[in-house]
Amino acid sequence: MALRILVLDDEPIVCKRLKPAFQKSGYEVETFTDSAAALRRMAETAFDVIITDLKMEGADGFQVLERARELLPQARIVVITGFATLETAKESFRKGAFDFVAKPFKLSGIIECVRRLEESMTPPSATR
Amino acid sequence: MGIMARIANLFMGWRNEQSVTFALLFKKFKSILERNNRILELMADMGDKLGGEYIFDNKYIEDATFQLNDQVFKLISDMSVLTQSKNTALFLAFERIQHILEEEIAGRRHPEGSRMVLPFQDIGIEAEDEVGGKISQLGDISNRLHLQTPKGFAITTTAFFAFMSHNGLLDLAQKGIEQWDGTDQELHELADLMQSRIMDSPLPWRLVAQIDAMIDVLSKCSAHPLRLALRSSAWGEDGDSSFAGQYATELNVSPDRVVEAYKTVVASTYSLEAWRYRLDRGYHEHEVAMAVGCQIMADSRISGVLFTCTQTSSATCESMIVSATWGGGAAVVAGETATDTIYLSRTPPYPPLTRAIARKTRRLVPAARGDLVWEDVPEDLQNIPSLTDSQLEQLARAGMSLERYYKRPQDVEWTFDSRGELHILQSRPLRSGGDAGLPVPVQSATRKAEIIFAGKGLVAQRGVAVGKVVLVDHNTDLDQFPEGGILVSKFTSPRYARVMRRACGIITDVGSPTGHMATIAREQRVPALVNTEEATRLLHDGDEITLDATQNIVYRGRVAELDKFERSEPDMFEESYEYRLLRRLLKHITPLNLVDPHSDDFKPQACKTYHDITRYIHEKAVEALVVLSQRHDALHHAPARRLLDGPPLGLTIIDAGGGTNCPPEAPTLNMEEITSVPLLAFLQGMSISGMWDTAPVPVDLGSFMSSFTRTFTASMAGPEAVGRNLAVALRDYMNVNMRLGYHFNTIDAYISEQINDNYIYFRFIGGVTELVRRSRRARFVANVLDRFDFRVEVHGDLVVGRIKKLSVTRMLVRMHMLGGLVGYARQLDARLNSDELVAKHAQAFLEAIKSTIPAELAEPTGGKNNGTAHLGA
Repeated sequence: MALRILVLDDEPIVCKRLKPAFQKSGYEVETFTDSAAALRRMAETAFDVIITDLKMEGADGFQVLERARELLPQARIVVITGFATLETAKESFRKGAFDFVAKPFKLSGIIECVRRLEESMTPPSATR
Repeated sequence: MGIMARIANLFMGWRNEQSVTFALLFKKFKSILERNNRILELMADMGDKLGGEYIFDNKYIEDATFQLNDQVFKLISDMSVLTQSKNTALFLAFERIQHILEEEIAGRRHPEGSRMVLPFQDIGIEAEDEVGGKISQLGDISNRLHLQTPKGFAITTTAFFAFMSHNGLLDLAQKGIEQWDGTDQELHELADLMQSRIMDSPLPWRLVAQIDAMIDVLSKCSAHPLRLALRSSAWGEDGDSSFAGQYATELNVSPDRVVEAYKTVVASTYSLEAWRYRLDRGYHEHEVAMAVGCQIMADSRISGVLFTCTQTSSATCESMIVSATWGGGAAVVAGETATDTIYLSRTPPYPPLTRAIARKTRRLVPAARGDLVWEDVPEDLQNIPSLTDSQLEQLARAGMSLERYYKRPQDVEWTFDSRGELHILQSRPLRSGGDAGLPVPVQSATRKAEIIFAGKGLVAQRGVAVGKVVLVDHNTDLDQFPEGGILVSKFTSPRYARVMRRACGIITDVGSPTGHMATIAREQRVPALVNTEEATRLLHDGDEITLDATQNIVYRGRVAELDKFERSEPDMFEESYEYRLLRRLLKHITPLNLVDPHSDDFKPQACKTYHDITRYIHEKAVEALVVLSQRHDALHHAPARRLLDGPPLGLTIIDAGGGTNCPPEAPTLNMEEITSVPLLAFLQGMSISGMWDTAPVPVDLGSFMSSFTRTFTASMAGPEAVGRNLAVALRDYMNVNMRLGYHFNTIDAYISEQINDNYIYFRFIGGVTELVRRSRRARFVANVLDRFDFRVEVHGDLVVGRIKKLSVTRMLVRMHMLGGLVGYARQLDARLNSDELVAKHAQAFLEAIKSTIPAELAEPTGGKNNGTAHLGA
């Protein structure tokens, strides 16, 4: 069925704009501005894709990424960040991110990214 | 950067034997040019974000503003080094702008100016800070959509702040909300307290005096005793129904009651419902300000409400609904009277579908002492339709125009006066009734629809449009453009601004999302997809299509679900805090006020925006470098010499090392003494090609070649016409800054056997003709550069072309071509009378220039690189 996407970004504007865009493309979307709430939800529901902001304020920028990886090892993680440096990108991939997108980004770009990722998914996870 | 390092080294070697000062100053000059460009790019980048294609957040806004602050500050600092002066006035201008931007970002908004009242005719959308959402929107409706709205004046937000802070009321609200425990009960108490305090507080006497003066003016142009309608117009109140429902409207107010009515409207800002609504929507307390519109009461013969979309079922919306009655409209809104109910088709010409004529026994008319009273409707009018078919059509057209603009079904309050003229009193998004929040089955609808093309083009303005294709070219009479059509054209053109009120979408084959047309499409919020390459080939006149300018897809037929989905999104981008903030910031960044360098206002004190500062410094930096090189101490180290022959540019050449071979003390030089490889190719291109001497092509292309030989007229040769032109030359390098008439050219080039270091940077901006022609010329320049493989960016009338890493020969061909191009383009904008001429001129130029390329530079046809082979086409 439809891919389930979780979006986590502490700026409401990002959630508000991504949600209808993904819905329009036929995905199921839940958005969170609070990481604790997002992680709780991940523990309950098997999301296929997690799109998460990478905050550099506070030392635990990557903690959400790691925790999400533990909770949902099958899920593909896309990092979106305004702190796009080579270091943060490398670290994100090392921590298991599937893609890394610098903010600001085009709406069509992020949807394309999810489409690619959908195609790359193996049938078992798609029919799960 | 390898290139920069090489140039630095060249200067280094030269410096050791010659003037240290000039090398350093020239470095500063180069840095000014680079920053100038960076600033223009940053500004364009921020402007693009308003189109809705990008997801951006607060951090982006803060970062981009920070970078701009930084670049502009350093630009002025560089200028200070270059001119050896403090530039206090520039720094002050910078401080002023930076302060405003910081205040905006921090959320402390203080409208500029101290106007407490403003007549409506002076109000446009840019006055939103001063007059609030609803009134500036009425300005929009009147100025952009050209629909009639009532006359009057606004009591501004400045007046609101004066009144509120005079009486300590803003602090009361701020503290109250900080200490609020989150319960309805306490908010209720706070709201009551605020409202009673407002009603009990006196208005500053200056405000009262200014209101009286405005009323006097209105009285003089009103035939009857003046009666006013006072309507709320809060910040952010873009006519949203939840706001509008909460804020007060006072009708038929006599002049002596205006102050009291004003306070009633202001007090309604703090009603429980309005306050609660703002809190839910994330409005901050500092975003609250209430302006009040005082309109002459319309002499209403027939009034009512139009919903541009009926919401009775979950099926797609195919009709609109009009409720109409005799007299004033307040009773229709309140549902207190019988009304005629007419369903109209949403498809032009919007024919009536069903009509229910009510028996209308009473109507609202203004009472002598204020407010409105009921009176009986004459017998013969009671059972007849209040609106004629032509009035219905007029109303429907206005409604659809409003709906397209606001991207939401609209709830429009309207009235026809005794002369039969339609006035729009207010328009706001229609709150959906039955199916609000229901998921729209958009996925299944789009899956079934045939895709004509997808994934092509760039979004200039996001949105969805459903309608019939109208193919447009330079021959099309735009006045005949049908209501609700989708404009499809080869090129973008600001000329299309005229049809944007009627077009529901725009698709073009070529064009940039940062061009003029895109800016206008964004202003008018018309969904626009540009650069699709082949839209005009795939789409035919009259085809019914659905344009999804959010996912770059064009579907065959009507995919109404998409449109519906778009119009039912709970949070519209254009209503978000971030959109509003970015727009407010850009108002202090991008408008250009310093247009004419010869004007008395071309001075630092007049700089109101970063664009002004940037423009001012660029002009002055070029002047400074010339003056500097002419100064005594610099003279024998880096002599500045006037070029005697060659194109009549009034060119001053500074030889920074190996650029010329004339005697050291010579005050002038000739073309043959130029040894700078890029500069010589450039100047030869300009003179050999004959382009400078050529009056730009007359419309008849047949006579183009004959015009080639036309001689240069003396009137064009005056120094005023060509401005201050400067070249700094080394053997392998040149930097040319030219002002020809009112447009600027900057060309920076390094050409040597080190192929990897070779580059040409070309920048072109400005002009004095109207926007349309200027942008045609920008397109012409971009078109030509593109054919020579430059990487081209067009932002409005700024064209930047870059190319690098080609062989010396290929680079020189391009310098030659640029010489011709600069000569050719210098007055072209005055002659670009139609869009079609852009392509013709480009073609004519390409053919002409090709024939002048010196044999030693010409390449064998079918050259392996994508070089000149492509020129012959």
